[in-house]
Amino acid sequence: MTQPAIVKAKIHSVRPVAVGHFEMLLESSQLAAADPGQFVHVRTPGTLRRPISFSRLDRVHGRAGILWQVVGAGTGWLSQQPTGGRLDVLGPLGRGFPAPEADRPWCLIGGGVGIPPLFAALQIWGDSVRAPITAVLGARRGDLLVMVDDFRNRIGDVQVTTDDGSQGGQGTVLGPLAHWRARHPNGQIYACGPTPMLAEVAQLCRGVERVYLALEQRMGCGVGACLACVVLAQGKQGPEWRRVCHDGPVFAAKELVW
Amino acid sequence: MVKPVNLEVAVGTVRLANPVLAASGTFGFGPEYAGLANLARLGGIAAKGVSPHPWPGNPPPRVWETESGLLNSIGLQNPGVEAFCREYLPFLARAGTRVVVNVIGRTVDEYCRVVERLEAEAAVDAIELNISCPNIKEGGLSFGQDPVHAAEVTAAVRAVTQRPLWVKLSPNVTEPERIAEAVAAAGADALTAINTVLGMAIDLKRRRPALGGLSGGLSGPAIKPIALRVVYQVAQTVGIPVIGIGGIRTAEDVAEFMMAGASAVMVGTATFSDPSTMERIIEDLPGCLQRLGAKSPSDLIGAALPGRP
Ligand SMILES: Cc1cc2nc3c(=O)[nH]c(=O)nc-3n(C[C@H](O)[C@H](O)[C@H](O)COP(=O)(O)OP(=O)(O)OC[C@H]3O[C@@H](n4cnc5c(N)ncnc54)[C@H](O)[C@@H]3O)c2cc1C
Ligand SMILES: Cc1cc2nc3c(=O)[nH]c(=O)nc-3n(C[C@H](O)[C@H](O)[C@H](O)COP(=O)(O)O)c2cc1C
Ligand code: FES
Repeated sequence: MTQPAIVKAKIHSVRPVAVGHFEMLLESSQLAAADPGQFVHVRTPGTLRRPISFSRLDRVHGRAGILWQVVGAGTGWLSQQPTGGRLDVLGPLGRGFPAPEADRPWCLIGGGVGIPPLFAALQIWGDSVRAPITAVLGARRGDLLVMVDDFRNRIGDVQVTTDDGSQGGQGTVLGPLAHWRARHPNGQIYACGPTPMLAEVAQLCRGVERVYLALEQRMGCGVGACLACVVLAQGKQGPEWRRVCHDGPVFAAKELVW
Repeated sequence: MVKPVNLEVAVGTVRLANPVLAASGTFGFGPEYAGLANLARLGGIAAKGVSPHPWPGNPPPRVWETESGLLNSIGLQNPGVEAFCREYLPFLARAGTRVVVNVIGRTVDEYCRVVERLEAEAAVDAIELNISCPNIKEGGLSFGQDPVHAAEVTAAVRAVTQRPLWVKLSPNVTEPERIAEAVAAAGADALTAINTVLGMAIDLKRRRPALGGLSGGLSGPAIKPIALRVVYQVAQTVGIPVIGIGGIRTAEDVAEFMMAGASAVMVGTATFSDPSTMERIIEDLPGCLQRLGAKSPSDLIGAALPGRP
């Protein structure tokens, strides 16, 4: 595992990828060596840094991507950073996804800005999985969907859903997931997206051995020191808090208490 | 050229290599920042508050960013003093810096039990009593809000330890000087000021208080003027050393606190954005002192207090 550090990474490129969404490539072999599902804590002008997951990990060229939606001052500032400039990031942080098992069918479930870390997982491990791989990508509207082409360039089975039906099937990712689950009772499922979506994924996939969810929580330090970012998990003596920044952001669904 | 400066300061009998310590609750138990900051460079580390038994803390969200500040309602989650001594204190003992243990409790007896347990540990350089905890015998009003209860818990702890005893003041009172006087008379060796300022944020989307704990404690640059005023008031009132905390980010901030009467300072929230804040301050201090015409940090202590030349 790469030790977290403050990296003043050179910005290789920043480009809009959907309405209000941007992707940035950072030049840093240290960051590119991260595990899919890990994140960086990005220094912005506010009091706190902003956590963003890796969207791609190009270990050959030593580049790591982050992809975000502009939702406030921090992400707005981030989208205005110039190519060639430097970004102060703390990372790679947290515990990412485990490597998928080669012979289990693999399903990647992404909602909105939960899609990017799943692409990083596909990029790093796609070739090592011999069983079929499916991606189910959802957003509220078609113009908010990200990375669909990146997935299609790598795998054949990419299903898209939007809440309003403007692209792909109308509805949420849960419909296609329910079908997939019925066909692949021994599959492995990796999901990232809004917390209510993850709660439903966990519910729908109860009893499935390998279900991994990448969670979000409000963070302070990002390194496990302040105990801000907790979620409830199953401990040895009943429910206990775990830190999303340090024990996660990826948790096995069976670890969590909803 | 900035000449090398001896940055040593003393807080009572505790000698510090420099006046900059990590504030309790923002630096974990030490190991969390070990790869990102050189702990041996720091004046000291105040560990996260420990209670006699594990405390679960509040439901999330536990932090919320505000204008120039941060609200938190961590709720003093900690693994209890036993686990602290077993799992974290050995690391702190080897960190090459002063170790301050922040102590919390819901009754006077709980504070005493933690301090008694710490008596067995040679690595503890000072005890810091966090008296901002709710006093369950007094309907949840914090010990730090009333001079009588603040003095009671200080005296009880004083009776069970000879160690340097620092008491951390809450700013959420009309006259912090009265609390300061009371705990000084009850045997405190130094005061740390301030703990967080009570506050709240509303989450517009959920139409609810933003924090899981409903209200929380404000920290960061937003509270620096409040902290300076408390330090200035308290330093004039008591004869024991004061350690300043609240919104410190630069060597100039440290100089302000020292002029207001602080003998040393602690840095909390600023570490989240830049884990090297404390080391940067320590590096900048000699230049800052030189610009201010001071030969050592001690030259600044109390320079702004009334009656000083
Ligand atoms: C582990 C992790 C990975 C993430 N990965 C991505 C990603 O790949 N792409 C992406 O677009 N977003 C991601 N997010 C969410 C992202 O951190 C927030 O959208 C961002 O912090 C908003 O900052 P802001 O200043 O623009 O918005 P504001 O709403 O103005 O931010 C105010 C404060 O709230 C915090 N905050 C707001 N929304 C969230 C949120 N959803 N989760 C955690 N903290 C929040 C901010 O960090 C800041 O401290 C991730 C969050 C976490 C915890
Ligand atoms: C997340 C967080 C946790 C804290 N936990 C404690 C604690 O356990 N005990 C304590 O005495 N103070 C605690 N504090 C208060 C700080 O030590 C400090 O007094 C306060 O944050 C003001 O300093 P700052 O503006 O530099 O952060 C905490 C502060 C924050 C932000
Ligand atoms: S953000 Fe500080 S512990 Fe996770």
